[in-house]
Amino acid sequence: MKIILKYIITNLKERRLRTAVMLLSIFLSAMLLFVSFSIGASYESAQRKMARGMAGSAAVSVSSPDGSVTSDDIPDLSSIGAAVGILKGAALYHENGYYETIDLIAADLSSLNKINPPRLTDGGEISGFEGNRILLPDRFTSKYGIQKGDDFTLLIEGSPVTFEVAGIAAYDTVFLRHTRGATALLPVKTLAGLTGQTDGYHEILTAPADGVSADLLKEELSAALPDGLLVTETVNEAQIAADARQKSMPFFLISFFSLTMSVFIIYSSYKVITLDRLPIIGTFRSIGAAQKTVTRILLAESMLYGMLGGLIGIPAGAAILRLILQGMGQSLSQGIEIPVIISPAGILSAFAVAVLVSLLSAWLPIRRASRLPVKEVVLGTVKEARSSHRLTAPGGALLFVISILLPRAVTEELLYPAGGFSLLGLIASAILFVPFFTNLCARGMEHVYGVFLGNEGRLAARNMRDNRNTTQNITLLFISISAIIAIQTVGDFVTAYVGDVFNGAELEGFADGPMDSAFVEQVQNMEGMEKLLPLYVFKNSIRAGKPEDTEQENSIILTRLEGCDNPDWYFSMFALHFTKEKPPEISLFQSERTVLLSESCMERGGFSTGDTITLTDGNSSYNYIIAGSFKSRATDVEAVISSQWAEADFGASSYGFLAYTASDPEAVMVQIRSLFGDISNWSRTVEEFNTDALTTVGAFLQPMHSMTYFILLLAAAGVVNNLLINYMQKRRITAMYKSAGLSNRQNMKMTLIEGFSSGLIGAVIAIAISFLEIQTIFLVAGPKISMSPNLEASAFLRAGLMGIGITLLGSAVPILKNRRMKLVEEIKFE
Amino acid sequence: MKTSTECIAVEGRHISKDFQLGNNTTKVLRDISLQITRGEFVSIMGPSGSGKSTLLYILGGLDTPTAGSVLLNGMDISHFSDEKMSRLRRQKIGFVFQFYNLIPNLNVEENILLPLLLDGKKAADYQDSLSQMLETVGLSDRRRHKPRELSGGQQQRAAIARALIGKPEILFADEPTGNLDSKTGEEIMTLLRKINAQQGQTILMVTHSSKAAASSTRTITVQDGRLL
Repeated sequence: MKIILKYIITNLKERRLRTAVMLLSIFLSAMLLFVSFSIGASYESAQRKMARGMAGSAAVSVSSPDGSVTSDDIPDLSSIGAAVGILKGAALYHENGYYETIDLIAADLSSLNKINPPRLTDGGEISGFEGNRILLPDRFTSKYGIQKGDDFTLLIEGSPVTFEVAGIAAYDTVFLRHTRGATALLPVKTLAGLTGQTDGYHEILTAPADGVSADLLKEELSAALPDGLLVTETVNEAQIAADARQKSMPFFLISFFSLTMSVFIIYSSYKVITLDRLPIIGTFRSIGAAQKTVTRILLAESMLYGMLGGLIGIPAGAAILRLILQGMGQSLSQGIEIPVIISPAGILSAFAVAVLVSLLSAWLPIRRASRLPVKEVVLGTVKEARSSHRLTAPGGALLFVISILLPRAVTEELLYPAGGFSLLGLIASAILFVPFFTNLCARGMEHVYGVFLGNEGRLAARNMRDNRNTTQNITLLFISISAIIAIQTVGDFVTAYVGDVFNGAELEGFADGPMDSAFVEQVQNMEGMEKLLPLYVFKNSIRAGKPEDTEQENSIILTRLEGCDNPDWYFSMFALHFTKEKPPEISLFQSERTVLLSESCMERGGFSTGDTITLTDGNSSYNYIIAGSFKSRATDVEAVISSQWAEADFGASSYGFLAYTASDPEAVMVQIRSLFGDISNWSRTVEEFNTDALTTVGAFLQPMHSMTYFILLLAAAGVVNNLLINYMQKRRITAMYKSAGLSNRQNMKMTLIEGFSSGLIGAVIAIAISFLEIQTIFLVAGPKISMSPNLEASAFLRAGLMGIGITLLGSAVPILKNRRMKLVEEIKFE
Repeated sequence: MKTSTECIAVEGRHISKDFQLGNNTTKVLRDISLQITRGEFVSIMGPSGSGKSTLLYILGGLDTPTAGSVLLNGMDISHFSDEKMSRLRRQKIGFVFQFYNLIPNLNVEENILLPLLLDGKKAADYQDSLSQMLETVGLSDRRRHKPRELSGGQQQRAAIARALIGKPEILFADEPTGNLDSKTGEEIMTLLRKINAQQGQTILMVTHSSKAAASSTRTITVQDGRLL
């Protein structure tokens, strides 16, 4: 055993360059895989932290449509672990001509501490918190140079109110937020006095008792609470997981490709290693080593590669993860810290995959070598088996067709497995197809190069025909290039998808705040105004149900219903995608009571297009016909009705939102903000909004862009590995050429032409395959997204050129090694 | 034997060759001088490790001497640049090896035309020479076959044809029958004799076989790095 181990270690030491390349490929794969595993968990934790923000450990919120819920309303249930009432208010902070929105909150501190304890930056305790005192987050105070003990003036309902800064809080827990502005904590009595909410709270947050799930708590509370109170979950765990999954999707794509590349690198390396070692294998077999023994010795060596790669890759991955998450936290507009989540499962999986990939990819060539007849191995008469194109090309074509058709043919439930099969199938079919395609291209190149590059060009192209080294090179190259193209396109798409919710929507600016007709008229008359769409907004105040359901619990509360007077503008402003085609009933939108519902609302209420539903605000009820359903990324509205029915049926008189297009949206926005004056509002141009959103999304996806460089590095390692293999296997052939009169200059010319041609063929296959892979990826993700990927021809071409460049650069090694070749040594012995 | 310069195909002057093995220097050739006259068919014989193949490779320009010089057509080729030496191999020298050394993915006629192609010549201009050469070596019906589809004897015939297609001044052969059975080896020797006799091709051949050496017009023996 000791001798075998020594033999293995000597092998690793003697073939330093190859060992380095193999280790590098496993190391990079293990590292990328570990980062992919861990970044998903870290993202999820960050998402959860951001989503929880105000709620802390509270799982269920109780509120009332009339805005007031008291502690007495909450029943004494054993499933409730803690509860805290929250008062809310709004204020404006005015500094250097810019208004900053401040959300005011107040809660009993002892209750709040049980659910979501605020933390002072100086580590002190909050005490004597009463009167006109305020707690502000450090991110806000550092921006404006505010210190503890300073006077701090806010405009509340148009009047200035001055507070003493009682302390600076860390930017987490209740102070964490998704939008610009800041959250400030006031004493309950102070805020109650300022807002006039002296009876009850705006909402009561409840945390489940130990061992109680959020669902159970919600269920028990819903059953026990009086009618009319709204019970909602504070965070949507499924949504958090889905968001994190969406952001970590490109990372898994990176892992998928890096693993595929590693498998190929190790497989091709081991093919050569076993060929190289045939004399030693022969010696082992001749002295009585069984097939199994030889297999085990060689597999032990590959396992050593896997273990070493994993052992170095995982700590390196942890360091990279820490670095990228730190950078990401700093560049996030919310400035939150993203925790580095390293789970034992992540470590184990990455290590296991590194070892398994190494073992399995080496297994096939090792098994083949150890099963060779002893006599042939000892006498050195082993001939490499050649597979016929007659079988591989049609096999590849069949797999290719199946891979394209399968995701298009299966039902939605089977889309994921079909998509996975399609991605693997496309790569596998291309691998099978490469020899045939290379031969075809080489034939064409022989003629073209013969004309432009002379006999060396013709011979270089001729050399590529039926040449396993060339096809191996092209295969690795196409996998690498297609990986880069697919990862980049998917990454760019995720950036656009998550960052640009208004993609395809016509509006260029919006204002969210109370606006009367005079206000809207002034906006309408602003210079450069093109389309102005004011909307009535009803938040959580209209219920929808089937007319026969008289019981209120069978109806649903619409989180947002809007009334508009120009449906066509509404559709284009918010890029509404109708579930089927645009319903004909839309023509009746203004003349009859019709309503459009979002797809999620239809599902929630169990409604169908054509149904009649009753909309009620608690005072009066009216029947509306559902004209159709839609989905839109630009608005979270659940129901849209005509503004004339909103006025007539629900007494709408003041607008809550307006969207517009204008020749200069920024100039209009400045005027709108000025019109609002001290009135709290949230008004942005789409450009401003997108810049804010992209700061966050860009920060989340920046690591992915950095990781494509690792893929490039892996590709480069693979190509150099292949060129080295190529050089080793071609050494004798090059010597044969040299004995027939090939000069070093001619050899360089031929090697470069071969490198260029391999790069070109690899790039062409990669462009085609990555295009199909992207189609598959979006076909699988398609039902859940309402946006098409933007395929940039330049991204495809850039990656292709990069592949050609890498091959040409990699050619330098064999060119230099061939110059120093000892001709007689190479040529004399077989 | 003294010969006029024009008649000498290749000449070695005081050739020595040392190999460094770790800290030890092995003297493989020691001050060898010899001349090969045009039209001669010379065999070099000697025991294993005597240095006969090394001598052949140095005279053929595939290796360089540690000391001394090699004159081919009166030119000292010992210190030729790679470019010049390669051109010489394409135009003036033909080599035949024990293990044939045919390019595996080129077919017979492509292998034969290789020196011409590397010399920038058009294959189309040499179709007649090619057919004639295939006829000479008896491979007319195997011109499109890959090396792996040929027997050892056929591969060696293709290698001889490749060595001769450029009409070289001298053909160097290193154990051309060493990898063949006796019958096939005899056929190859018959072919070489025919080429020497009919075309006046100068041949310098290394062999272990005295039967093969009997085909040549002169035999020289190398032992312990010296000519006997």
